[in-house]
Formats: sequence, structure tokens, C-alpha cells
Amino acid sequence: MSRRSLCRFGLAPALAVAVVALAVAACSAPGASSTAGSGATGSGTASGPIKIAVVDAQSGSDSDLGQFEWRGVSLAVNQANAAGGIGGRKIDLTLYDDQGDPTVGVELAKKIASAGDIAMFGTAESAVTLAMAPILESEQIPNITSGQSTALVKLNSPYLFLNGPTGLTYDSTLATYLVKTKHYTKIAMLTNNDSYGAGEESAFSSSLKSLGLAPVAAKVVPADQTNMTPELTAIHGSNPQVLFIGAEEAQSGLIVKQARALGMTAVIAEGAPAGTPLYMSTAGTANADGTIVSSPYLGNGASAAAAKFAAAYTTAYGSAPELHGAKAYDGAEIMIAALKACNGCTGLALASAIRAVHYDGLLGDFSYDSSGVGIFATAIGIITDGKIVPVS
Amino acid sequence: MQSFFQTLVSGLSFGAVYALIALGFSLVYRTMGLVNFAHGAVLMIGAYVASTFYLSARLPFAVAVPAAMVVTAVIGLVIERILRPLENKDFDLMLIGTIGAGTVLEAVAIIIWSSSGRGVSSPVQTAPLAVGGVSIPGYNILVIVVTAVAMVVLTLFLQRTKHGAAMQAVAMDHEAATAAGIHVGRSNAIAFAIGAALAALAGALIGPMLYVSPTMGDSLGIDGFAAAILGGFGSVPGAIAGGLGIGIISAFAAQQFQGYSDMVTFVVFTVLVMIRPTGIFGEKTVNRA
Repeated sequence: MSRRSLCRFGLAPALAVAVVALAVAACSAPGASSTAGSGATGSGTASGPIKIAVVDAQSGSDSDLGQFEWRGVSLAVNQANAAGGIGGRKIDLTLYDDQGDPTVGVELAKKIASAGDIAMFGTAESAVTLAMAPILESEQIPNITSGQSTALVKLNSPYLFLNGPTGLTYDSTLATYLVKTKHYTKIAMLTNNDSYGAGEESAFSSSLKSLGLAPVAAKVVPADQTNMTPELTAIHGSNPQVLFIGAEEAQSGLIVKQARALGMTAVIAEGAPAGTPLYMSTAGTANADGTIVSSPYLGNGASAAAAKFAAAYTTAYGSAPELHGAKAYDGAEIMIAALKACNGCTGLALASAIRAVHYDGLLGDFSYDSSGVGIFATAIGIITDGKIVPVS
Repeated sequence: MQSFFQTLVSGLSFGAVYALIALGFSLVYRTMGLVNFAHGAVLMIGAYVASTFYLSARLPFAVAVPAAMVVTAVIGLVIERILRPLENKDFDLMLIGTIGAGTVLEAVAIIIWSSSGRGVSSPVQTAPLAVGGVSIPGYNILVIVVTAVAMVVLTLFLQRTKHGAAMQAVAMDHEAATAAGIHVGRSNAIAFAIGAALAALAGALIGPMLYVSPTMGDSLGIDGFAAAILGGFGSVPGAIAGGLGIGIISAFAAQQFQGYSDMVTFVVFTVLVMIRPTGIFGEKTVNRA
């Protein structure tokens, strides 16, 4: 093209616009902290609201967990903001729907980095959290997750923290109780094939093996399968004393309902999902009764702190909380404590501050190790008349 | 052997529901030549409406289900009315319209009932019937009986009533039917309404067996669609055969192949359809020059 034609097409104005755009992009907003990923300064000298992302399924089959987590985090943040926030700065939460899909989670990880969120709560699904973790680490965004897969721990990311015990802790405690305390010897397993179910299958079977037992039957179902009668029929034939379930809340409830419809009388044993209202409503109260639950949160009456939390949660949302809401609340309280300690820092400084927090929460005493695990014990409860009560 | 019959009972129960879903697909297809991709979403709405009447309004189950069928039939009429301007003009747009209708219904369900699902207690609380060591839940027997009654009623409607005969005529040749004075639009509307009511019946019946959620129609719709194809798309006896077939194949695949059961089910389905592309009761069309 000739110079004349370039001028005819307005090259000079276009160049001027480009220069102005570059200048605007290079300037940070007045008082803004250093952007995530630009370095580990995180000195905490910013003003304006502190932006934190909440990433969870708000649609699809995991949406119940997402709703519990959003409510738990929101309650803690609203309480903190009402008390003055972090050095006068309010925490501003933004909710993102990951649809329970790791691919969507990866896109959201990039989005929250560019949106200026300095930290993240979520997700409740380990597979999604695993997919997001590398991006969050490279963007230096600390993440407190409800996932419990040991694969999260193996990442050894300095920016990833669990707000509850790992699946191995849940299942080793449960296996020990079933074998050592209750002296059951015939234990069958039914797990699903998503990341949670696969983790449960691995953790529980290894726990049984360490106690010198092998399952009398072990079946795996697709995570979206709704008729488990064929697998239960096969398990029923091995006449187990206990049926361990490794699946999400709704599918677990269906398994129990269908097992009882088949005439199976085996004791049901499970980790976190069995402690939720969704499990009980899907299974039916009569079918859910007698379920042995391994959980660090044995109900809203388990302690004075749990009762206070439950009262505030019920006032705010019109329904009683459960384990996932309690985990999310504890995670948010830990983040708030860290932000207060470092005066609203970001990046690696915030991650270090989280690791330095010692917090006596609803689930127990949190003290994070280098792998991002902060709590190392669960308790055993039994569902009685629709409520979890601690075993004596 | 006990395990075989136990799996068979389970397969027949779910197969009966798939047959109802397939019937709804087939009815709309044979009348309008249209595959209604909103059918799964309509099933989901029917399940939610029935469970709301049953759990929240505390109506007896036997009243909640027909009430849900009426409500959902009205939704079917609305969908048909929206698509009517495209009938016999732009078939592709009608297909896309049904996909859009399904998306809208799912969004409406989330707005009304939230994205959380709900468990539905079984209306039959008796102990399972034990026959030769095989446990047959009372509710499963109810599902099979209700499905059989629905099939008989529909067959009588199509063969013995004026509207049913009109729908048959439109299915055979809509131009000739128009020439004979049959209101094609009204026939199509009745087909859509009955199809939606059948979907609602399927959703209402399967609610206590599964879990009612905004996404429940997705996989059930696919299973019902496969059942309709297997039995012969557009065939009423084919829908029954296909539904029971898919139910039984799924049950035995789950027993043998566990985590790969879906893959095995649809591999078997694919092989069967390759052997007989028109389905078990499907009709082969021959064009003579």
C-alpha cells in the first residue's frame, strides 16, 4: 500500500488510538494492589473492596453442594463485613458457576485472574479444583477448596488449601470403627466412577487392606447411573454385614433406597455425603436411619459453636446448615483471619498468611501443613430419627 | 438364576417407563413427522409438578399424577401452537424450536424449583413381594400396571375415537386428511398434548424410583428416544417393545459391565439397529416410480 492510501485510511488516528490504549492499560487504577501474577509483593497497601471469587456448581447434578458452599462462605463474609471488614475494606464476593465441569473450571480460573480476584473459595468438586489448580498457582491466587481427594494434596501447591480432612482420613477412621470397634468382617463396596467415587474406592479399600480385610464384593457404577439394582443384586448375593458407599449425596440416597427395596439389611456406611439432608431425603428417613457416618461435623447441635452457626445460617437462609456449609464457613473464616493478619495482602504473602492461621472451627482445630491439609481427624456418627448423633 | 430374575424385574420396571417416553416420541412423530427434542424436558416438568402436588400440596399420588398430566398437556399445546406457523414450511426450524423449548423449560424449572433436586417418597410403603427369592418392590408392580393401562387407553383412543382416527389419517397423509375436512392443526395439537401427558406420566412414575432434578430429562430422554428407534419410530407396539428392550439390556449391562454399562447398552443398541434399521415394528417405505 502507498503512503497516500494509508493516510486515506486514517492510519495516524488509528495509531493515536493505539498509543492511548496502551497508555491506559499500563496505568493501574488509583490505589489498586499489584495484580495477581505480577510478583509476590502482596504488601497489602491497597484500598477499595477485596475481591474474592466463589467458584462452585450452581447448575447440574452438583448444584446442591454449590449452594451449600455459597451460603457458608457468604455468611462468614457478611458477618466480617458487618464487623468492619478487613482494615475498613469490605470483602466483595463474586459467584461463578463451574457447572461441575473441569473444562468450565479452567475457563473460570483464567477469568477470575483477569477479573482481579485475589483469592478463591471452591470448588466442591475435586476434579474441577484439580483442573483449576495449575492456573491458580501460576496466577498466585490462594484457593480454599471443599474437595477432599488425595490428588489435591499430591499437587503440593503452595496456593491450595483444603477446608476439611482428606478422603483417606474419612475412610480410614470409618474402616477402623467398623472393623476394630464393631468387629464387622463382611464388608461390601459400591462406588461411582467420578473423581470422588474413585478416590473413595481407593481410600476405603486401602484402609480395609491395612486392617487385614478385603471387601466381599466391590462394584463400580457410572456417576450418572440411577438404577443400581443390578449391582446391588450381585452384592446382595455375597450377604455382606456392611455396605460402604462412595458416591455423591443423591446417588448414595438412591443406592440405599434401592438396596432396602431389594430386601438388603446390611448396615450402610459412608463418609461426608451421608451427613446431608439431601442424602436423607433421597434415601427416605426410614432407609437412612442406622447409617454410620464418618464426618468431622456431627450435626448442628454437636457444640455451642455449631449451634450458634446453625442459628445464624437458618436466620439468613431459612434452612438448617449441614457439613458442606460448615466446611465452607470454616474456610471463609480462615481466609478472613489471614487477610486481617497480613492487612489485606495478596499472592504468596496471603498464601503464607493462610498457612500461619491456627483456627478452632466447626470441624475442629485447623493448622495447615505444607501440603495444604489443615485438619486430620473425623468423628463417627449414626443417623437416628433423621439426625446424626455421635456414637457412644 | 435368582440374580437373573432379580435383574429382569428391575429391567422391566425401568423399561415400562422408557416405553411411556418412547410412546410420546412416536405419537408426535407419526402425526407430525417431527422428533420432539423437548420431550425429556417435558418429562422433567411432569415429574416436578407431580412431586409438588404430592409432597407440597399433599394430594394423594393417584390424584397428583393425573393433575400433572393435565398441566403438562397444556404445556404441550403451547409448544405446538408456537411451532404451528412452521408446520409443512420449515422442518429444520421446527426441530430447532423443540430444542429451544426444552432449554426454556429447564430454565423455568430452575427458576421455580431451584437447581436443587428432591427425593420423592414412594406411595407404596409395603414390604417388597418375595417370589422364589426374588424381591419385587410393590411400587415397581404399580409402575408396570399403570404403564400397561396407559398403553391400552391410548390404543383404544387411536382406534375407537373420532380424534384418534383423525390423528391416524393425518399421520398417513396430511394433505388427503385436509381434503377430507380434518383439521390438521388440531390433530397435531392433540398429538402434542397426549405426548406431553405421557411424558409427564413417565416422569411422575419414575420420580419415586429416582431423584427429581432439572437435568433428569436428559438421560431419560435419550433412553426413551433409543427405545423409540429400537421399536420402530412411530409404532405404538414398537415403543412398548423398544422400551422394555432398552430397560432389560441396560439392567443386564449394568450387572455385567458396571462402570461401562452405558457404553455396552448403546453398542448393543447400535448393532440391533444396524441389523434392523427400521426397528422391531418399524415399517419399510418403498417408493415406486
